[in-house]
Amino acid sequence: MELFEGASGVEDVLDLSHLNSNSLNFNSIGDKRRKDTRHLHLSHNRLMVLPDSIHWFTNLEFLDISNNGLSVICEDITRLTKLKTLLAKNNRLDEFAMPKEFGTLQLQVLNFSGNRFEEIPAQFLELQRLQSLSLGGNRLKSIPAEIEKLTSLEMLYLGGNLISTIPVELASLPFLTYLVLCDNRIQSIPPQFTRLHSLRSLSLHNNLLTYLPREILSLVQLQELSLRGNPLVVRFVKDMTYDPPSLLELAGRTIKSRNLQYSEEDLPSHLIRYLDLASKCPNPKCAGVYFDSCVRHIKFVDFCGKYRLPLMHYLCSPECSSPCSSNPQSDADSDDDQSVPADRLQRVLLG
Amino acid sequence: MEQAGLVKPETLDGLIKILHKIFENDIINVEEVQNIMEAYASKPQEWMKFAKFDQYRYTRNLVDEGNGKFNLMILCWGEGHGSSIHDHTDSHCFLKLLQGQLKETLFEWPDRKAHGDMVQKSQRILKETNSIGLHRVENVSHTECAVSLHLYSPPFSHCQTFDQRTGHRNTVRMTFWSKFGERTKLFNSFVIRENRHSA
Repeated sequence: MELFEGASGVEDVLDLSHLNSNSLNFNSIGDKRRKDTRHLHLSHNRLMVLPDSIHWFTNLEFLDISNNGLSVICEDITRLTKLKTLLAKNNRLDEFAMPKEFGTLQLQVLNFSGNRFEEIPAQFLELQRLQSLSLGGNRLKSIPAEIEKLTSLEMLYLGGNLISTIPVELASLPFLTYLVLCDNRIQSIPPQFTRLHSLRSLSLHNNLLTYLPREILSLVQLQELSLRGNPLVVRFVKDMTYDPPSLLELAGRTIKSRNLQYSEEDLPSHLIRYLDLASKCPNPKCAGVYFDSCVRHIKFVDFCGKYRLPLMHYLCSPECSSPCSSNPQSDADSDDDQSVPADRLQRVLLG
Repeated sequence: MEQAGLVKPETLDGLIKILHKIFENDIINVEEVQNIMEAYASKPQEWMKFAKFDQYRYTRNLVDEGNGKFNLMILCWGEGHGSSIHDHTDSHCFLKLLQGQLKETLFEWPDRKAHGDMVQKSQRILKETNSIGLHRVENVSHTECAVSLHLYSPPFSHCQTFDQRTGHRNTVRMTFWSKFGERTKLFNSFVIRENRHSA
């Protein structure tokens, strides 16, 4: 939420909210007032249009146009070069409503929750300074890979949409601290989430998750994780079908595990690319790699002595055993409980 | 039992004074407390100084200690914030919405021997309530914050939280984000260490 403490001087703040008016005329506002205003409140009216004259407030830093009937944002808003916070909740806006040059603004906080966005508009992804983005309660079907352009992003609220997959690029956001993905249709979390070193709070409740990637254990900053309302498996039925590795894969495994040298002069480029896709088997006793042929393994991990979570990872063969297990025999039955090491995620509050 | 004349609390301070008077007695009329809480018309300028939000999770802000007989507090729920399933350790809980909406889900007590999903009893959107038993309270809105006024009698410092999928329970210590409008300096990491399963 945006915490707006009242500005220091009354001249900074112009409150035209809750007036129930369907059009606003800034003509009556004096020149000095226009230049002095830093915070402008226009919420809870019945505006269908944001007047072009908004640009008269040349020093504006905070603009709230929430709870109106806006279906388009005027181009003149891009002239507010000092604007840092824009709140436009509960309007009728979609990705076509945004002005072309919107991405040039120096915005830090953007809240477009409760609108009709089906896609995150390209202009939003140009906002280099953006720290906080909320598009909760819209109709987003996906998250674009270009989300990684928002390198300053700390808070991302996408709860209450129609998102079914998460792009790996989301994990590239180095400062992401608070990520809300609740009330969507997400079926899996990419293991690359391990890169979200700053992540403090992850909201995943009411989705379609059956397990989590084992890599979630490495999020040492994580303090809140909500998982309620997901069909998390409580028993893992071992996948009886196992496709044995192809000849190509066996050759690739041998090359990688024996560290055989190769270069572009030795092999065609498509085979070089194939070899680059090798994944290390997480079994600490196995120095092997796998390409396409792997075994999905779910381990139930005791989280802080409170919750048993199904964590999933891939092993290179059915004979391999999971890391963190002292007895390889114990992996015969995936129901065994292994505690998370004491220094990891002891502090996580699950809900 | 005669009520002390249904005085409508005009202000939050007035409500607190009336509550102190009601709780002077040893036997409390639950309905009386509920009616008084309902009768207070929320005025944001009166409670705003207690309503301190946290970005990551809901906050508990102590308003009055009720001479040890009750705790009156204001809870601030950001978008999507919810509580765990918890009990109130035999205390009565009175809740009133000051702003926004909250959803309450009541649960059956899990059988200590059985494992498996906890059974939901009912769900509703709250305006005010008086409950005893297990519940989860959530702000399900993605656009609005919620602020609620809670009275617990007697006050309690620990409660049990439950895992919905297994019924497994855990005792946790309650903390305040602020007291009497002042942010408490007790830093979270110390508190959260308390949440480990006790020896």
